[in-house]
Amino acid sequence: MRRVGSAGWLLGLCVLLLGGCATGFSMRSLPAETPAADNAAAVQKQQQFMADQAAAAAAAKSAAATEPAGIGPPLTAADVPSMQTYDPWERMNRFTYRFDARFDEALFLPAADTYRRLPSPVRAGVHHFFANLVEPVSVVNYLVQLRPVPGVRSLGRFVINSTLGIGGLFDVATHLHIPSAPTGFGATLARWGVNPGPYLVLPLLGPSTLREGGGFVADYGIAYWIDILHLYRGLVSWVLPPIDAVDVRANTSFRYYSTDSPFEYDTVRFLYVRKTLIEDDRIRLWQRGARDPQAPAGR
Amino acid sequence: MLAAVLALTPLSAAAADEPLVGLADPAALRATVYGTPPQDVPPLPARVPLAEINIALPWAAKPRPAVFWFASRLRAWFAEQPGPAPLAIIISGTGSDGNTEKLSLLRAVLYQAGYHVLTVPSPTFPGFIAAASTTGVAGDLQQDSHDMYLTVQAILAHLPRRVHITDIDIIGYSLGGANAAVVKSIDASEHRLRLPIHRAIMINPPVNMFASINRLDKLFALSIGTGDVGIERLYQRIYLRLANLYRASDQIRLEDTDLLAAAAAVLRTDTDFAAAISLTFRLALVNVFFAGDLYAGTGVVTDPHHPPQPGDPTEAIERRLRDLPFSAYFDQVFVPYYLAHRPGASRDTLIAASNLNIIGAALRDDGDYYAQTNADDLILDQTELNWLRSTLQGRVAVYAHGGHLGNLGDRQQVADMLAMLAGSWKGQTQ
Repeated sequence: MRRVGSAGWLLGLCVLLLGGCATGFSMRSLPAETPAADNAAAVQKQQQFMADQAAAAAAAKSAAATEPAGIGPPLTAADVPSMQTYDPWERMNRFTYRFDARFDEALFLPAADTYRRLPSPVRAGVHHFFANLVEPVSVVNYLVQLRPVPGVRSLGRFVINSTLGIGGLFDVATHLHIPSAPTGFGATLARWGVNPGPYLVLPLLGPSTLREGGGFVADYGIAYWIDILHLYRGLVSWVLPPIDAVDVRANTSFRYYSTDSPFEYDTVRFLYVRKTLIEDDRIRLWQRGARDPQAPAGR
Repeated sequence: MLAAVLALTPLSAAAADEPLVGLADPAALRATVYGTPPQDVPPLPARVPLAEINIALPWAAKPRPAVFWFASRLRAWFAEQPGPAPLAIIISGTGSDGNTEKLSLLRAVLYQAGYHVLTVPSPTFPGFIAAASTTGVAGDLQQDSHDMYLTVQAILAHLPRRVHITDIDIIGYSLGGANAAVVKSIDASEHRLRLPIHRAIMINPPVNMFASINRLDKLFALSIGTGDVGIERLYQRIYLRLANLYRASDQIRLEDTDLLAAAAAVLRTDTDFAAAISLTFRLALVNVFFAGDLYAGTGVVTDPHHPPQPGDPTEAIERRLRDLPFSAYFDQVFVPYYLAHRPGASRDTLIAASNLNIIGAALRDDGDYYAQTNADDLILDQTELNWLRSTLQGRVAVYAHGGHLGNLGDRQQVADMLAMLAGSWKGQTQ
């Protein structure tokens, strides 16, 4: 009886929130902007990019003198995919996109805004903790992809961060120059030649493809199977995913209908699928013996 | 983000493998796309508090088409000073919302200078058209600015009582600059509910909107061509460069938000830059055209009796609209609508009404109007630039370079803007 009451209360709250709480005026405080730090980061990014460009040009020159570039012939116009996107479930996808937008506006974004008000070290700790939980999933996927080097790296990151990093709260491995490079079952499928398949908008998670959506489910299955510290079973398994989701949302700048354009669905679909196809091309290239994009430079 | 990443591409990467467009200066094209390099902006504040305002406006044209279900309330952004302070209102450029990177930069420097800052979308932004426009048919300078004026009044009336405003100035960039000046002129003619707006600054405004837009359409035709073929060719070019760049480098990671920026970073030739500029404008026009066609019921790309619903595919409509220039919108949607709703109007009077000289007398006689523009701004010709100079009589700063908004936020532009707002600008020294 009590459970029904709670569910009813929750349902009522959701309906109210998803209904938009239609009042005439609202003023929602956002996390403060940090222009000085943002601009300093932009300057640094520019300098880094210039240095990378110079290094890449020098490397290309020396590689050309000693060995083939190893990336195969450049793509040609014939390799460019059509501008149209395969979206046989468009009506359902549009419905889900609309639902996601409402959910995001009513629940997800306010939660993320509140979360962003926590002290930065706390947020960093939460973020690192969840990122660390993903490492074992990456290890399994790298193994299935037959890519031992990044697999060992992920395993090393997990061991270092779980111990020296106090249960993953601190990303010590990155400080030791072992950068994060997570992978998932979607990438594993791509590595074995599975195409992205139809465009798919997932409830709550947003734009995806059939392959990536399936990959997400499989990754959760792998995590459930490994079940580190029993975090994926019992009560705690109901508490952690929402916190993880809010952390991810707080670190994602995308906002539904920030364009206020009735064509936003088409634009997002176009960009998402093109991005996936370009990444797939890189993975296919690696299959043919070119440099592993995840391998450390020079290896 | 876009400007920052664009600024990363060395100019020496520009290859002369395609003919020059010939309609605009190459440096102006690049400045327009790159924007102000981050190292050229003045010192910025460490922290700017920000609030998002959502407001329902009762005069918004009804019924709102179902496909605009998400735009029932207008979004604006407000940065509040802790104590009494003057207010700077900033209007965004063509088709843009009230929280662009350019607005964010202006907000930072104005907040640092002690202003409350309210940033609002352009009257041509789809969210404004659906939530704040009385007509739904954007593009009329006077009407759009009037809608903007009502909107600003409504927002200010709803601000919490603790917000103490000592003075009000208004700024706008690109088309928003023209809107800002017209909003001030409307306010000046208002007796009962005057805000009052003190100073107005137009940053890179158009003078003759119709001519400026036609210039951008010409740039589109020259750099992209017509029909889907032109867009397809541009898409192939950008996709190929992006994919090959990603193949060759481990440095490029394709984050969702970086895709457009990365695409812009592979622009090389004048034709590429011109295409990026004119396509950006055309995509803004697509929204204006679509909304106007729905609200006016002109049936150019939508069936007025069976308007599209939220779940309906819209790609075919967008593809068709991408190929239509502003003149098609003007003749097939804008003119029919205004001929039916404005007694005595004709095509010629509507064109004339899209000119800044509708407030020429105010610009000439009132010393509180200012402008900042560039000698190589793509949207102005020499006659229009001269008109600005002669009309504003020394209250216009014309910088030698910068293209269209390519120097917005740089030290000189910001210093001049703040001096103009303070009424202490002594004219151009360079």
